[in-house]
Amino acid sequence: MLRKHRNLLDYSFDCLRRYRMRTAVILVTFLVATTMISAVLFAKEGLEREAEFSVEAAPDLTVQYLKGGRVEPINTSYIDIIAGIPGVEKVLKRTWGYAGIGAYTFVVVGLDPEGLDHSRGVITSLEEGRFLKPEDEGTGNIVIGKLIAYMLKVKVGDDIILLSESVEANKFHVVGVFSDSSSIYTADLILMSFSDANKFFSMPEGMVTDLCVYVDPAEDPASVASKMNSVSNIRVLDQDLLLRGYKAAYGARGGIFTTLWTILLVAIAMIAFSQAIVVGHESKFEVGLLKTFGFSTLDIIEVRLVESLVLGFFAASLGMLIGYFYTAFFNAPGLVDILLGWAYLPREFRLPVYVSLQSVFSIYAVTVIPLLITTVVPAWLNAITDPELAMRRAAA
Amino acid sequence: MRSASLLPLLTLLLTASVLAISIHSEAEWHGRDYDRALRQVVALPSIAVGTNYEGTRNPLIEVFVRPLYDIPGGYDYVLASSFIDTPMRIGEFRDTVPGFNYTAIKG
Repeated sequence: MLRKHRNLLDYSFDCLRRYRMRTAVILVTFLVATTMISAVLFAKEGLEREAEFSVEAAPDLTVQYLKGGRVEPINTSYIDIIAGIPGVEKVLKRTWGYAGIGAYTFVVVGLDPEGLDHSRGVITSLEEGRFLKPEDEGTGNIVIGKLIAYMLKVKVGDDIILLSESVEANKFHVVGVFSDSSSIYTADLILMSFSDANKFFSMPEGMVTDLCVYVDPAEDPASVASKMNSVSNIRVLDQDLLLRGYKAAYGARGGIFTTLWTILLVAIAMIAFSQAIVVGHESKFEVGLLKTFGFSTLDIIEVRLVESLVLGFFAASLGMLIGYFYTAFFNAPGLVDILLGWAYLPREFRLPVYVSLQSVFSIYAVTVIPLLITTVVPAWLNAITDPELAMRRAAA
Repeated sequence: MRSASLLPLLTLLLTASVLAISIHSEAEWHGRDYDRALRQVVALPSIAVGTNYEGTRNPLIEVFVRPLYDIPGGYDYVLASSFIDTPMRIGEFRDTVPGFNYTAIKG
């Protein structure tokens, strides 16, 4: 019995070599499709994981001021109101916004001096210089991301001048540059003290962009948030909402590509089917002959099944490996714009790549199963035909 | 080794490699904790890439986002969601937002 299956296996492997054209067409088309989808999926999942990390490290609750349904700066008097709510551990103020340099937009964040905690090892994320200290309040000292350092060709000790919305020149002194390893979070960041950011954005006295609320670890953030219902004009965002939103944002980019890819996969499956039919004419005679020699329908299906499995797994595995190397080591040129929306990246910027087992099995499923269907079905149709009739038809 | 067996052997090898990379990647991501302190201090929940929404890096904490359907008062800027670009880099978008008149000079 085992010997029979081994012989069938050997015969299948011989078929792969004999039908070179079919093997090559299926391999190349599935290879292209798998490479594309794996590159996108691996990078998309990496981005989603990075976003998850950021959301998990974000405040438990973010409180904003609403006026006419729109977000506006919030008065610092809300700090005391929110801090008085049971379950709230700490409330920090934050001023942040966007600044343009040339055609590009960067994120300026003013940090509350009370939130600067050096014991947590922030310094390790810096390539050179130091992180902000409470003493930097109002001094114009900034820490910048690698992208800005690269673009402006500045280093620690240099000064930069940024023109604000109110068309005022603001001079800043670079005291630190973030490292490449943290680029996914810091590339476009300009960190400065809270009062410097307020001055840069011409924030009215006593106003900030939003409030970061940290909840007592023993409390449920959602239930603490629900206690804020009675506070007027505020909007409370919890981590769960942020996480869903960011997954939607990055998933949408990968999702559109996946839709296009699905169309491509259907086209490729049609090519495989067409190849199976074309070769089927030749193999009809072969199948008739095999059946005359005593092969059963199941034996013939087994032969084709093994062929398709080998082809499918080879193409999908090689495609995934190419997709992985293309993304992890070459930063996915061509795809990176779709996924990141950046015109250029810092020299050492590395796309986050996450090769999850779920993605791997999904890719195998969506490539190998269609291939099995499109090749095994024609083989089965051939195999159930009367052998003499099959040979006569093939010879005609 | 018979040449006919080469492709199946390569298939096994490549499949094992993919699974090995995947298991390594899973382990690496599960144990990942870099930048956590930095992210806690900066407290922005986003990462440094563009999104589909006009709010560039931080769509959720500055505007209501349509796909979440939490609409009351929800607003978006003028352009439809961009797919392949960062909307803030698009000229028309910048024109619709007063005050975007920045420049930078190295000191």
